[in-house]
Amino acid sequence: MAKIRKTDSFLSRNIAAVHLFAGATLILPAYLFQQNLLVRIAQVLLFAWLATVNGKRIKWNYFVIMVTSITFFHTLNPFGEVLLSIGPYTMTRGALRGGLFRGVTIVGLVFLSLFSIRPDLKLPGKLGGLLGQVFYYFERVFEGKKKIRVKAIIESLDEILWDLFIPGETVEPAYIEGSQTTVRGWLFLFVLVGTNWFFLFYRIPFVLL
Amino acid sequence: MSTVQVAPDVRSRYEKLEFVAFLAGLCLFFSTIEYLFPKPLPFFRLGLANLPILISLEFLSPGYVFLLVLLKVLGQGLVNGTLASYVFLFSLAGSFSSVIVMLSARKLFGRHISLVGISLFGAIASNIVQIFLSVNFIFGLTAWVIAPIFMTLGTGSGLFVGLFAEKFRTQSRWLDTMRQHYGKDSQD
Repeated sequence: MAKIRKTDSFLSRNIAAVHLFAGATLILPAYLFQQNLLVRIAQVLLFAWLATVNGKRIKWNYFVIMVTSITFFHTLNPFGEVLLSIGPYTMTRGALRGGLFRGVTIVGLVFLSLFSIRPDLKLPGKLGGLLGQVFYYFERVFEGKKKIRVKAIIESLDEILWDLFIPGETVEPAYIEGSQTTVRGWLFLFVLVGTNWFFLFYRIPFVLL
Repeated sequence: MSTVQVAPDVRSRYEKLEFVAFLAGLCLFFSTIEYLFPKPLPFFRLGLANLPILISLEFLSPGYVFLLVLLKVLGQGLVNGTLASYVFLFSLAGSFSSVIVMLSARKLFGRHISLVGISLFGAIASNIVQIFLSVNFIFGLTAWVIAPIFMTLGTGSGLFVGLFAEKFRTQSRWLDTMRQHYGKDSQD
């Protein structure tokens, strides 16, 4: 069977994909029910850090623009105390808080997904088996990408396709070597889930907006 | 030594699933190389991953095309790690609305529509659904003001992908062989 490379990180070495996904699922309610904006921002930064630990590259400018634009469009519907007025534009506390809250929440969900979903997370049933084949072919096509010539794009693509797929020739599904959850992994998951739930019930004395 | 007889229709179905898996692998490849192209806007996507879907329309039945779309979206969600986020839902909604419209356009216009036309229909459908979702669940109603920009860019990318797909359709010998092999029973 073909083997797909996996990232070598603390999370992938110490926590099985299914346990990491289960941990993130347990964190989700503690994240979504969190009402303190400061704590939520801290959670988002934690998820972003975990995503980078898991080998994901985060495009910060994309997410900053995302939060800024969501917040901006929310401030166009003013409510609450006026914070700033520039010509016809009025920024209010309620609209600013609502926009920031939504923007940060959405970006946090992406980071949560980025750190908790790995390619070695196996989906069950026939669909999972078919996805194994998809990953096998993806790897094979990716290996052949150096053969692509921009000036003869169709011809070079054709060559790669002939090399990789001929009707009637079947392949075994690819697999990605998974890891087992170690004691350190379980401990890490316990602390991670516990901390997020702790701050749902413990009211910190600081409030942002 | 005994041999196991496999009914031709079962073998044909198995081969087709293999082909769908291959096309989905190609979708993942194209979605990866899409990052090499510069983006005029942060949320803009060229849609290169739709190329294999577009070229499969003429020789795969709708059931297999839907399976291809599902595998593409799930594969992207797993590879990029966005399976549990709004990105996955947007991709799912955009891809399925697009393929429904593309299949309908092909059914409706038959030989009178090129892959450029089909791609444009698909891009417009996908953009309408994604703008609707963005406005209702992310940015709020005031974000309708940016809809024309996204529709224009989305139509442009649909045109680009369609032109490339049409060129590939007419020039690729590999595709011609696939069409002959899988196209004969595309209505199953």
